[in-house]
Amino acid sequence: MKQLHKRIGQHVRRFPRHFTKYLYERDTIFATIWVFIFIVVLGSIPLNLSVLNPLKLALKDFDVSDMTYSELGKDMNHALDKNIVIVNIRHEDREGLALMIDKLASYKPKVIGLDALFYKEDEENPVKDSLLAATIKRTPNLVLAQKLQFSNKGDTIYTTGDHFKSGATFGHVNFFTDSLATIRFFDPFERNYADSMFPAFSSRIVEQYNDTAYRKLLRRNKDKVYINYSRHQQRYLIITPEELMLDKFEAGQLTGKIILMGYISEQPTDIEDRFFTPMNERFIGKSVPDMNGIVIHANIISMALEDNYINKLPSWANWLVAILLCWLHMSFFIRYYLENHIWFHLVAKLAQVFSIILFSYLAIALFDWFNLKLDMKYSLIVIVMAVDVIYFYEAFAVWMHKKYHYHTVFHQKHH
Amino acid sequence: MKKFLLLSACLLGIYLLRAQDNGFLIYSYKGNIAVIENKVESKAKVGKMLNSAASIKVAAGGTVTLICNEAAMFSISKAGTYTLSSFGDSCKVSTSSVSANYVKYVWAQMTKAGSSPGSDRKKFMNTVGAVSRSVNNIWIDPRLDTVNYSGGEFPLSWKSYADVKDFEFSLFNTDNTTSPAFKTVVGKLKIPIQNFAAKLKTGNTYLWTAAVKGENNDELKVLNYVTKESFQSTLAALKASAGAFENAAEEAYRLGFLLEDAHYLAEAYQYYSKAATLAPDVPLYRSTLMSFKKDYEIK
Repeated sequence: MKQLHKRIGQHVRRFPRHFTKYLYERDTIFATIWVFIFIVVLGSIPLNLSVLNPLKLALKDFDVSDMTYSELGKDMNHALDKNIVIVNIRHEDREGLALMIDKLASYKPKVIGLDALFYKEDEENPVKDSLLAATIKRTPNLVLAQKLQFSNKGDTIYTTGDHFKSGATFGHVNFFTDSLATIRFFDPFERNYADSMFPAFSSRIVEQYNDTAYRKLLRRNKDKVYINYSRHQQRYLIITPEELMLDKFEAGQLTGKIILMGYISEQPTDIEDRFFTPMNERFIGKSVPDMNGIVIHANIISMALEDNYINKLPSWANWLVAILLCWLHMSFFIRYYLENHIWFHLVAKLAQVFSIILFSYLAIALFDWFNLKLDMKYSLIVIVMAVDVIYFYEAFAVWMHKKYHYHTVFHQKHH
Repeated sequence: MKKFLLLSACLLGIYLLRAQDNGFLIYSYKGNIAVIENKVESKAKVGKMLNSAASIKVAAGGTVTLICNEAAMFSISKAGTYTLSSFGDSCKVSTSSVSANYVKYVWAQMTKAGSSPGSDRKKFMNTVGAVSRSVNNIWIDPRLDTVNYSGGEFPLSWKSYADVKDFEFSLFNTDNTTSPAFKTVVGKLKIPIQNFAAKLKTGNTYLWTAAVKGENNDELKVLNYVTKESFQSTLAALKASAGAFENAAEEAYRLGFLLEDAHYLAEAYQYYSKAATLAPDVPLYRSTLMSFKKDYEIK
């Protein structure tokens, strides 16, 4: 028994040598460099080589941290946000909306946001337009939505969807992403060529609700802000038009609060104003949109009010992690490639799987504990590429050895 | 030691106070829901905060969704009056860490058995490429169109064309077929009448139906809950109709047949059973009883 103990101890002591034996070899360092050369070269080809690559296409919208929302219950720690009440506007027309706004305003909320775009006048029912225009005029704490449209090189901005201009405050509702992609960012303050600022709908609401939170948001106005989704739809109080108009809700829940008026799907097949978010139950592959636009705005506002921002690590830090991991893996793979070649493929595949699980966890843990976003994309790519690059590098080193007497640990080709 | 005991008592007291001090928020509701606070009853309102001492009254057909301590959501859809302090267990929120969930997730994915449409037809062949238009997934035997019931063991049964696990059984008063007087979810394709007999008034007629959970079934069947006296008079009339001598088994079999014909199915079952017991060597009695049990899902 004692001998077995000693043998296990010996193996454990020797294990780090598997990683470090070739760590400082010139070949390990050059092979690591070659991995990054391949990444840069392949990334620089001005053709979309992934046009028929299903794996690449599937992974295009993949982010490891999405798992924390969809599978690992990160959102379970967040309680109902009592600062925000959502009012479902269903398909109410302009007259209906005017009535709802008037009713809501009577409860003295601090700010009301209407997440609906109005493109032109209602020629058939001008009276409805007049009603809504009058309501907007007498509701100073109402924030309306507008859509930004870009021309020239994208530096000239026009606004649309803001037909009722009578004294209202506007915020843009653009999410700068493909409509079928996961919405991860929002732009709190968009600027045009003249540096005129177009605040987002959610930024406008935060501005009217909490000055301190708004100042913090302002400090982030140069970047797109990563949305920290903390709540599903069920973590906000939602009132239907009937409940509002028939007084079937507790009026005290509205006084001094943020009221967000927007469309909430009541059927799972209804995907109007519904988007993909990291909270989607399926975080990879085909799925159906999971969150209404108004709930995304609510999440942004919750994040700003709770000062619960996600901080992204700079690109150089992501690359540095990728380089270190690639170097370590290359040293490990070369050791097996040269000394236990018969086991090389099995060990390499197992190491890749283990590393991907371990380093994905590292990214998830940083995200969960510190709201720190480490982009592991490059790290995972280099771990996968390292094995293939060894074959190339071996051929290259043997050729260099023969031609220029290049000193290498690869004295003869294994394949 | 005294200090230690005092401290322990204080801590226990604080813990118990905290445990009792759950706050409940009415998140949504349907139907007639009332809240009772300090013995004062009022209509429920979305967003209303209630403490553990309050009660909630759910009328038949109503549903209320509550959020406990702003975190744990649960619904009550069974009619009745509930004290909120009895929902302490529903206030518990899973406290698993993201790290623990990650390990569980990775392990579950790595040990998940692979399956394909070829090897697991039940799992993969349920996706249909068509809309459904007024197709009723439930079939109720026409012999159950009218059931006269005075007591005893008998189930109301149905068949399902959908591969589902839960069914909703609804019982209506004849004057109100929109809000069920009794509604429950069952996991089997039948419900014994005894399960809801306490909610029935003798002498009344009710309508019932069964549907796949979440669907509607407009097909209503009749359940007459007849009085014992009414049944006894029917039985006496049937007994008196005997034309010739018959032994006890023959009489029981005849009464079983006539009661089945008169839609007294629970009672017919008793007489068929009696006939088969009294004359176990008569194959007709045994086979009739077996067929009856099979037809009406009596197990």
